[in-house]
Amino acid sequence: MTETHDVLIVGSGHSGGMAAKVLTSKGISCLMLNAGPEADYAKDREAVAAHDLPYRGFGKPGRLTHVTQANEYNAEQWVDEKEVPYTAPPDAPYNWVRVRLLGGRSLFWARQSFRLSDFEFNAAEIDGSGESWPIRLADVAPYYSQVEQIFRVAGRKEGWPQFPDGNFVTETNLNLNSGVMRKIAELAKPRGIPLSTMRSSQGINGLASSINLLLPDAMATGKLKIVSNAIVRQITTDKNTGLANGAYFVDRHSRREMQVKARVVVLAAGTLESTRLLLNSGIANSSGVMGHYLHDQIYGVRVLASVPEARGGKAPAGLMGGSAFIPRFRNLSKNDKRNFIKGYCMMIGGAASPAASDFAEYGEELQKKLDHHAGSCVSASIYGERVPRFENHVSIDKTVSDEWRIPALHIEVRDSQNELNQAKDAADTAEELFRAAGWDVIVKTDKYHPPGYSIHEVGTCRMGDNPKTSVLNKWNQSHDVKNLFVVDGSCFVTCGWQNPTMTISALSMRASEHLAELMKAGTV
Amino acid sequence: MQALAAAPAVPALAQQVRPAPSSGGRGSRGALGVEQGVKEFEVTQPDAVADPTARFFTLAQFGALKRLSEALMPAMGGNPGAIDCEAPEFLDFLIGVSPAERQQLYRGGLDALNAKAKAKFAKSFAELDAKQVDTVIRPLLAATPWAWDLPKDPVMRFIASVRTDVATATRNSPVWAEKAGTRGGGAGQLKWLPIDPIYKG
Repeated sequence: MTETHDVLIVGSGHSGGMAAKVLTSKGISCLMLNAGPEADYAKDREAVAAHDLPYRGFGKPGRLTHVTQANEYNAEQWVDEKEVPYTAPPDAPYNWVRVRLLGGRSLFWARQSFRLSDFEFNAAEIDGSGESWPIRLADVAPYYSQVEQIFRVAGRKEGWPQFPDGNFVTETNLNLNSGVMRKIAELAKPRGIPLSTMRSSQGINGLASSINLLLPDAMATGKLKIVSNAIVRQITTDKNTGLANGAYFVDRHSRREMQVKARVVVLAAGTLESTRLLLNSGIANSSGVMGHYLHDQIYGVRVLASVPEARGGKAPAGLMGGSAFIPRFRNLSKNDKRNFIKGYCMMIGGAASPAASDFAEYGEELQKKLDHHAGSCVSASIYGERVPRFENHVSIDKTVSDEWRIPALHIEVRDSQNELNQAKDAADTAEELFRAAGWDVIVKTDKYHPPGYSIHEVGTCRMGDNPKTSVLNKWNQSHDVKNLFVVDGSCFVTCGWQNPTMTISALSMRASEHLAELMKAGTV
Repeated sequence: MQALAAAPAVPALAQQVRPAPSSGGRGSRGALGVEQGVKEFEVTQPDAVADPTARFFTLAQFGALKRLSEALMPAMGGNPGAIDCEAPEFLDFLIGVSPAERQQLYRGGLDALNAKAKAKFAKSFAELDAKQVDTVIRPLLAATPWAWDLPKDPVMRFIASVRTDVATATRNSPVWAEKAGTRGGGAGQLKWLPIDPIYKG
């Protein structure tokens, strides 16, 4: 009959996959529940020309209105907003972008792979406000090193404290061999702007997912069982001890409710789904902090400059091309006084073209202008760190439920002047750089996407040493419910400008190893 | 397609290269038939043999949309234009099934073009020559380098939207694919099919 599993893992992405890989390698039996089905790359996709699509590439109108990454080709990979709705105030739109397929968002992530630095872990001291993490880079570095090997991260070692070097499997070279990028390098140096390259997970054949790099190892141990289409609606607790003892889940197709028993529960459903589950379960929130400090990164700012001698298709050989990645360079010292805290990274592209929407023209005139500028431009855009603020929070909206009658999440996030100032500084900096190079700036905007767009939402169950101001301890373990661990991005104290995947994976590995030790010692 | 093309920043989850599909693809759906000796049929697109009947826009609105489409995306560089590609007819369908806000943007914008044409030239927008069309729409044009920051004025907002929409509807049309080959949207990509959709019984 009912088996009591050693560990119940909710979610199958990078964090859940890592927990499964680590725990099963220690001989611990795990049951993984995943809310969605498995995707079959062969059977579930077909080659279709745009004109053969029902909506000719526009996508079905009104579907996935908050997933601006969606198009008619990839629409089926995202969570349907009508099946799993959420609410937000009309004046504070939020883009919650979700994948429930086995492997979660690890199937489709951009593979940019960075470590956080002590400028983030020690944020309160650096920024002069907010909270620091209860851990430092030195605590996580050994785990980053292992994760980087698993995902096969390629990068270039720089030795810069704000851009900690990784345990790269491949060293990448600077891509500054074009005339425009050499010019950028020449101008950036005296301005204190460092140039490097993107760091990226190579994975295997371009796939760096839980389904090919984590779950297969766990399955090979014989210690992992995976249930698909299992939508967990509540974590259950023992009435006497208050400890977690399993979960109720609903079958996605039949809506049949099931109960599962476990000695330990590990949540890895993604920041907002894990928090939604905990809030719906009414546990682990003696601090009152759960759901708060939701934040992600600003994606945006667009500066485009046209290089005069490259227009009209007349670029001399070797002038255009190349790219540069600029890690955070603002607020790294007390002397750097800005009207914002934290910082942003910048991407420079050396062979860009304008879009039709960049010009107030139409018809042949527009086409001639586009042709004239094609490939003649240098571009800049940023990822910037939003400030985690208590008032940016989620709660349960009792008036709305999903397809399985599970109460929905209400998300309330607004940007502050800090984000606006940061974006303006980035746009001004890129413009100044491009003008100094003698190029014509044809686009400059400091606009950025609404909260959530980066798909790097973190916080809401932040970690800390003080149980009154944090949900988890430094091992991703609930302060209140000692056999409950939350190993996804919800544990973040501050997100940094970096893609969070390496940090989520490293922290999940670290937490899982600690959990295994506690289980071995019999203390959990 | 349109959303991605317009996105200035690299979407965070769009970059991962996935394994190539097996030789299955579209044909894999016919695997059962193959065993019984049934070959896959080449089917004809409805656009190639029939005309759409439903008209969302009024005749006056549709006339303005056709004239506007012709101006925004004329045949050029050896490629067909919006009229050749029946972009206005497709947009009539698309806007007709779109949320009310978008429908109103289009209806209001087209009505405004007709009103301006009437006031300036005592004609409908559809009847204007190229110079007159330019007189009406030039002041309504705006550069919109941030795709989600369109002009507040509803008519300018409409012009910014329809300019992009007409281009997409043209380049993603069967006529464009036939006459321009794969240039600008005819190439096939891998489309996800519904993945184990909710069981309806």
